[in-house]
Amino acid sequence: MKRFNPDAMGEKLLRRLAGGTSRRGILSRLGLALVAAPVFPLLPVSRAEAAKPDRSPEAKTMFARTAQTKDDTKCNYWRYCAIDGALCTCCGGGIHTCPAGAEPSPVSWVGSCINPDDGKAYMIAYRDCCGKPACGQCGCDNTDRETQLYLPQLNNNVIWCFGTSSMEYHCSTAMMIGAA
Amino acid sequence: MTLGRKLARVLIGTAIAGSLATMNAAVALAEAVVPEAEEPGVMTMEAPKPSWFFVRGGWGSAGTSIFDAGTGKMIGMVATSRDSDLGIDPSGKFYYVAETMWSKVNRGTRQDLVSVYDSKTLKLLGEIPTPGRLIVGGFTTNFVLTDDGKTAYDYNFDPASSVNIIDLTKRKFVRAIELPGCAGMIPNPGVGFSSLCADGTIATVAIKGATQDITRTEPFFDAAADPIWSNTVYDRKKKQVVMLSYTGVVRTAAVGAKVEVGAPFSIQEAGGMKAADVKPLDIAWYPGGMQPMALHRPTGMLWVLMHKGEYWSHKEGAEEIWGIDLAAKKVVKRYPVEDEPSNIQITQDDAAMIMVNGGGKDAVIIDSKTGEVKHKIENGGSGLITVVESM
Repeated sequence: MKRFNPDAMGEKLLRRLAGGTSRRGILSRLGLALVAAPVFPLLPVSRAEAAKPDRSPEAKTMFARTAQTKDDTKCNYWRYCAIDGALCTCCGGGIHTCPAGAEPSPVSWVGSCINPDDGKAYMIAYRDCCGKPACGQCGCDNTDRETQLYLPQLNNNVIWCFGTSSMEYHCSTAMMIGAA
Repeated sequence: MTLGRKLARVLIGTAIAGSLATMNAAVALAEAVVPEAEEPGVMTMEAPKPSWFFVRGGWGSAGTSIFDAGTGKMIGMVATSRDSDLGIDPSGKFYYVAETMWSKVNRGTRQDLVSVYDSKTLKLLGEIPTPGRLIVGGFTTNFVLTDDGKTAYDYNFDPASSVNIIDLTKRKFVRAIELPGCAGMIPNPGVGFSSLCADGTIATVAIKGATQDITRTEPFFDAAADPIWSNTVYDRKKKQVVMLSYTGVVRTAAVGAKVEVGAPFSIQEAGGMKAADVKPLDIAWYPGGMQPMALHRPTGMLWVLMHKGEYWSHKEGAEEIWGIDLAAKKVVKRYPVEDEPSNIQITQDDAAMIMVNGGGKDAVIIDSKTGEVKHKIENGGSGLITVVESM
């Protein structure tokens, strides 16, 4: 498993920038980046600059080796590598949409899952749908790179219904953010 | 009076007397069974005992059932709501429940509080409003009491990380301490509390009245690559915390104003095998579950739920329980278990009875000395298990 190291990634990104830009150029780009920053999710962008990862079967987790891309109502659907809970696709919702009457959480935990069709890793945001009783269908608990409470964005035990009108947990979606 | 009439009278008299006697006998029999109409009543119970297991129902369910390890019988139930945390008063007088509810059940105004129950009547004695808490359940480290039972620390995440200090004597929320990047509490008597952090350190929060000093150890684990379970175990007598990582690295740390982390050892090497690592396809015995270890403090025996598999299988239930002598750093017992349990706990008395649950519908009580299954409690609860700790 590759260790997630934001410092090393940041350093690599800065070195590449320093090597390929003039000072004035970088100032104007930096200004643009500052204005545009809220539009882009930073994590996938910085992660894209990381060294080419090993995607051989030997380097894949058990989940990644057996994941499929056809049926998003099954626990082994590729995006669900770190999901915990009821799949919204089994509860009247979709892969990134809540069932009727539920409210999507504005925040989420994340996973980095490999799509077996192209062998690339993608950042997945697991957004809980809230405000209705537990759906109870298609319960899954996948744990690739899932950690503990002190790294909450990578923990799947927490009920992520923050900022919603009710914190009651209904089901979980798996929204694609971008390349990891 | 003719003889015939006399005979008739005697016969009638005998018949009446006989029926009266029968009636009397019936009354006597009825009195023996139901002397009077019954009144409804309520039992009281004993103060919490070291032989009791406090068992949560499991995810999404409320209530903490109390079972006696010796008999396997249910003693009572503490009214813990969904995803709440239970604290047992060290003096045995109260149960504290850190919980969250809404004015209209699943909507309306959110209320976070610590409910105080009398340990003998289980009646609600009071409610302490708090500014918030992490709604998760399943962790022993999100609500901890100090050794003197006067203060509670309640972990909050909204989604910024902080700890609420609650004065249990005055039954009042005191203040919150922000703790970014760290979660849960390890008791740190006389100092405050310590917490595991995302940078691989333990932070120690030394509380000094209205202020606090936060210090950190050097980084000693990788929170993303080989995390330590948030459910650490604390030994109040030794002032030592025991930590377990996903690969099976066991660490102890002396807790005080300065936390000293001891030399780690591999649980597999302690069992005479190659240490497990994080590489895929490397099949090994790994620890797993939500509450994957229990410490019998008087003997220093650590009991761990173990399964065969690959890395990132840290929530998988157990095939075996391993008993590790912490001082000798050796696996000295291995017991097979059924139904892949994900929680383990052990009573702190000499009986040292283990309970496992979370895989099937049974909560199972096992004698830690022999591995013998003593009781299988059907629907005994599948969530976190708590015991009375010796102070």
